[in-house]
Amino acid sequence: VDRRSFLKKGLLGGAVLALGAGGLALRPGKTIAAPREKLLALDARGFSVMVAVAARVVTAPGADHVAIAHAADLALSHAPAEAQKDLRNLLGLFENALPGLLLDGRATPFTALDPAAQDAVLEAWRDSRLALRRSGYQALRKMCLASYYADPRSWTPLKYKGPPDLGGFAHDDSKAGTPEWLAAQNDKGGTP
Amino acid sequence: VTKLAVVRASPNVIDGSAAQSDLELSADVCVIGSGAGGAVTASVLAAAGVSVLLVEEGGYYTNRDFDMLEAHTIPKLYQESMQRTTADLSIAILQGRAVGGTTVVNWTTSFRTPEDVVDHWAKKHAVGGFKYADLVPHYEAIEARLGIHQVDVQAMNRNNRKLYDGCKAKGWEVGPTRRNVYQCIQSGYCGMGCPINAKRSMLVTLIPDAIDAGAKLLFRARVDKLESAAGEITAARATLLDESGYGVTGKRATIKAKRFVLAGGAINSPAVLLRSGLNENGVVGTRTFLHPVIGSTGLYAEPIEAFVGAPQTAASHAFAHRGDEVGLFLEAAPGYPMLASTALPGHGDAHRKLMESVQRRTVHIAIAIDGFHDDVPGGTVKLRPSGAPLLDYPIPPKIWRAFQFAQKKLAEIGFASGATEVSTLHDPPITMKSEKEIDLIDRARWEPCSVGVFTAHQMGGCRMGDDPQRSVVRSEDLRHHTIKNLWVIDGSVFPTSLGVNPQESIYGLARLMATRLAR
Repeated sequence: VDRRSFLKKGLLGGAVLALGAGGLALRPGKTIAAPREKLLALDARGFSVMVAVAARVVTAPGADHVAIAHAADLALSHAPAEAQKDLRNLLGLFENALPGLLLDGRATPFTALDPAAQDAVLEAWRDSRLALRRSGYQALRKMCLASYYADPRSWTPLKYKGPPDLGGFAHDDSKAGTPEWLAAQNDKGGTP
Repeated sequence: VTKLAVVRASPNVIDGSAAQSDLELSADVCVIGSGAGGAVTASVLAAAGVSVLLVEEGGYYTNRDFDMLEAHTIPKLYQESMQRTTADLSIAILQGRAVGGTTVVNWTTSFRTPEDVVDHWAKKHAVGGFKYADLVPHYEAIEARLGIHQVDVQAMNRNNRKLYDGCKAKGWEVGPTRRNVYQCIQSGYCGMGCPINAKRSMLVTLIPDAIDAGAKLLFRARVDKLESAAGEITAARATLLDESGYGVTGKRATIKAKRFVLAGGAINSPAVLLRSGLNENGVVGTRTFLHPVIGSTGLYAEPIEAFVGAPQTAASHAFAHRGDEVGLFLEAAPGYPMLASTALPGHGDAHRKLMESVQRRTVHIAIAIDGFHDDVPGGTVKLRPSGAPLLDYPIPPKIWRAFQFAQKKLAEIGFASGATEVSTLHDPPITMKSEKEIDLIDRARWEPCSVGVFTAHQMGGCRMGDDPQRSVVRSEDLRHHTIKNLWVIDGSVFPTSLGVNPQESIYGLARLMATRLAR
């Protein structure tokens, strides 16, 4: 029974993702922003959706949503080919009006919605009974957040000072162990 | 003191990304994977005078590259740039990928395998080839070489100290961890590669030892398959990767050896066997365990700075043994900004508010001990169409129940150590203002992708045992049941999870078995 229900879930997931890939929007989406550099894993349409999602996920003042989408594109290029394809389909599904209409009664592409309506879509995915939609919400938000908070320019409000200055010793791979001046606060343990 | 730069420049070290033509290499023993299992095996064999070729998919990075920035180090040092997940995306998989494997990025926590776990394997999984006492001298040797020693309670960072104090206040067992560091300055950046080589990972200890003793190392070579004929492996075929590790050069390597040792870890070792069509009894890839993790974050009036200081110095095993229910152990995790941002739930202003208080937040985790109950069978490694591994790990009801139990214990620890509020990593979070509100946790959703679940410990998938129908390798020497010149020596051979952070368990078992192999 477990095996069958898993299979069913898997098939449903596949069918819903395929809807995203189908390019069946009832109304065309908006091109939010064109890429600034060559895309590595996303297509131009998916990139535009990623920029729109980033704008709702990262609301810190001054955040560069195009830069976030490029960083997400780079990270995605490090995933296996199948995972890259799933994410491209997911962005299509997120944007696409037809699945939006079937699942939420929404006939407008994500990129053409106003910010409050976009937040409502994100929350509907977050709270969905379908595991596939919850996983899609988590994948998109994590990609945007990881891209933004990896950037030292985002750290001031966190009161995170960044890496300490370890002088000339750190990053010198000709040495192993720690010189005395640097080990002043060490935990005094171990043997060489 | 080994001069690391000299080792890396040794003629025995071959950079697969720089090869101008296909490579043909040979050795007595080819060891595939240079993490905890492979590095120990290679060093023991090389010291015994065996000609060894160590093959690694990841890059050969040293502390010159470890600049303490997540943006730079994570793509270099983690599988799939830390985006590896289980099939339904519900569990984030933190797993290393570099010369030295996960030992380069782990948080240095060092436990021996609990004796009752080794006894359980003997009773339930037909592991008759060694006893706990056989492992002890190998633990001792590893502890000496890696400088494993107990942390001073006074040296704990505030994140760990809150866990420690909270457990003490509740009367629950808790203690300082042991760490494999020497003259650690407690910068806190273990997870991005130690910038000063204080962490005694395989990268700075047994890999240099092996190379000094004559072992060769080929890196940026991903083993696609093992070729076999007449019940023996004849060659390993590898794809050479480019300098970034995410593209291919178009060149390949063929490695001929008398014996092959698979040491790719709990996801990649089963994947190599599956790609090679070596799964006669259907056991390969099954019973893969993850020590699935949930988190809790307490908010305090004073700074906590979970991103500073040794990341994991307190551990509680008060709830490790729960009879018919799944046990858990409790530890702390570092709050690096990128890692914290993906672990903290939500988006937009709500998420931003959480991040703006991150400096006053703890990150405490509960780690489920999977594999000890019939209805907690672990996950299954399968292959994607491209050949890349994909782990399917449906979280069973018993683990969800254990999470619900542990989430309350973590909240109690928070309030007992002075937190003004404690939140779960549900999306949206369950936030409690006092111990009276802990029962809110019972109303939370416990299902995939409704709450953050992680794994940093991957075990099983090529389990050892003496029944050839129920295991992949023999427990007396970790040799494959039917293929006479193939061994698996890494965390994939464990028949269950461990109930402790795995690195020392892998070191100890690998050292015992490599010693037997060298004879």
